[in-house]
Amino acid sequence: METVLGVRGARHSYGATRALDGVDLDVGAGECVALLGPNGAGKTTLVNMVVGLLPAGDGVVRVCGGDPRVAATRRRLGVVQQSLGFPTTLKVGELVTGAAVRAGASRSAAGPVLAELDLTDLAGRRAAKLSGGQQQRLQLAMALVADPRLLVLDEPTAGLDLPARRRFWRLLAHRRERGTGVLITTHLIEESAAVADRVVVLDGGRVRASGTPDELVARLPDRTVIAKTSIGRARLEALPGVVSVRTDGEHVHLGTRTPEAVLRVLLAEDPGLSGLRVESAGLEEAVAGLMNRGAA
Amino acid sequence: MKVFGVELTDELRGIVREPAALFFSIIMPVAFFALFVSLFGKLGGGEVPAGTAMLATFGAFGAISVVLMNPGIGVASDRERGWLRAKQVSAVPIGVTLTAKVVAALPYALGVLLAMTVTAAVTGVLDASPGAVLRLLAVLVFGALPFALLSLAIGFQVGPGTAAAVLNAVLLPSAVLSGLWMPLEIMPAFFSDVARFLPTYHLGRLALAQLTGGPALTHVLVLLGTTIVTAALAAVSYRRARS
Ligand SMILES: Nc1ncnc2c1ncn2[C@@H]1O[C@H](COP(=O)(O)OP(=O)(O)O)[C@@H](O)[C@H]1O
Ligand SMILES: [Mg+2]
Repeated sequence: METVLGVRGARHSYGATRALDGVDLDVGAGECVALLGPNGAGKTTLVNMVVGLLPAGDGVVRVCGGDPRVAATRRRLGVVQQSLGFPTTLKVGELVTGAAVRAGASRSAAGPVLAELDLTDLAGRRAAKLSGGQQQRLQLAMALVADPRLLVLDEPTAGLDLPARRRFWRLLAHRRERGTGVLITTHLIEESAAVADRVVVLDGGRVRASGTPDELVARLPDRTVIAKTSIGRARLEALPGVVSVRTDGEHVHLGTRTPEAVLRVLLAEDPGLSGLRVESAGLEEAVAGLMNRGAA
Repeated sequence: MKVFGVELTDELRGIVREPAALFFSIIMPVAFFALFVSLFGKLGGGEVPAGTAMLATFGAFGAISVVLMNPGIGVASDRERGWLRAKQVSAVPIGVTLTAKVVAALPYALGVLLAMTVTAAVTGVLDASPGAVLRLLAVLVFGALPFALLSLAIGFQVGPGTAAAVLNAVLLPSAVLSGLWMPLEIMPAFFSDVARFLPTYHLGRLALAQLTGGPALTHVLVLLGTTIVTAALAAVSYRRARS
């Protein structure tokens, strides 16, 4: 498979904050890689490096073999950024046409993309006046209009409702069939499982795990048992069915796929157990689980 | 070239679609000019009739104020919105984008100058050959370039509100000190001493020289030097900007 994105040894610090600490990543043509991680994991920093906003430091970033810091390389690139505000003076149609010309495509490429994203009726509207979801579609239209080889999407579905999100996933699938490679960041496990061929889990600026969605989901806890207990950490980690252990003040959070079995043992071993709750597992438990297992 | 056209069109749209800003930045200097011309325009005495000389000095002020405000505040608000990042990840080299911003301010400056020329002609104070007036306008439009670059440099460092304040704080005192509002001859002597170090003064003098036929070389050299310095400032400022 042809590689459209290669990242080796990406490192970046903001002052004393180490945002990326040696990340390697590849995306092939037609492949979708989800970069999954909690807030502050370093996803946006990595994306900014991939799109040429940040220097790669002593690492290497190649988009279709070229350096994204060089303007011409970015003709192959479509980008949806995490927080983008549109100028108050430009209209939807003008922005998409402009994006086509800037990336070396013809003006006529705008029409079909506007239609594909259901923006045709909004073409004459000022971009800054659109709703959040419409602006998100506009950004995507601008990213897609020149038929990029690599599409980089930073939390593109944040703020969209589920039907809108599903439509977005279908659109991505359609583009991938045409050979576009996709790097998408998300903090939603469901999203990464729905769109990606491969999920890369990022936390604290490092890759903690990677694999197909099925492989990862099998290793992820789907419930969190929360309680105050006197049982020590080592014992908790050894309990059958416990995938991750995290302490949060007086409470421990146990990630598991078999909450009933875990509860039985807990109640048997600690008669003073209190503050008991069972919740769906969040991403923090999932990441903690992947790290406990030493997966990489 | 096609890409530059798109960038320039977007910038011009940005200017003409902000009618309030457009109105004020053209109306203010022109109204000011009309006031001074009606008060003092008919005074004689100098090499050039007072009203015509004012077209050079107020013209310099008008052109400078337009190009000083425009690209800088624009770039500061683009930055604040995050829109500058969209430009930076596009396949257009950032230099092309910024050049378009500067170039888009020039017709705007020309608009101010034409309004002033018409005002001068209508009030009957304009007394210069058409050739001299054309040279005057050309000198002011192109001589405004270093101020547009300074504007960019400041726009990369501060937010849009602060940019407007800082740029005004630069503009108004330099205009007064450089004799763009009132002739330096009627000001305290130290004004002239300070003025020689201000590019605003040299643009005013260069414009006047188009009417008097006086020597222009020093002024041209100072403005060229200023252009190089402000271009370097703008470049450094861009590199240091947190976008
Ligand atoms: N411009 C910045 N200045 C200082 N620290 C930053 C900046 N951007 C991000 N960080 C820090 O770097 C880390 C990674 O941030 P980011 O890449 O935005 O993560 P994510 O996108 O996964 O939420 C965080 O600790 C964040 O606080
Ligand atoms: Mg982010």
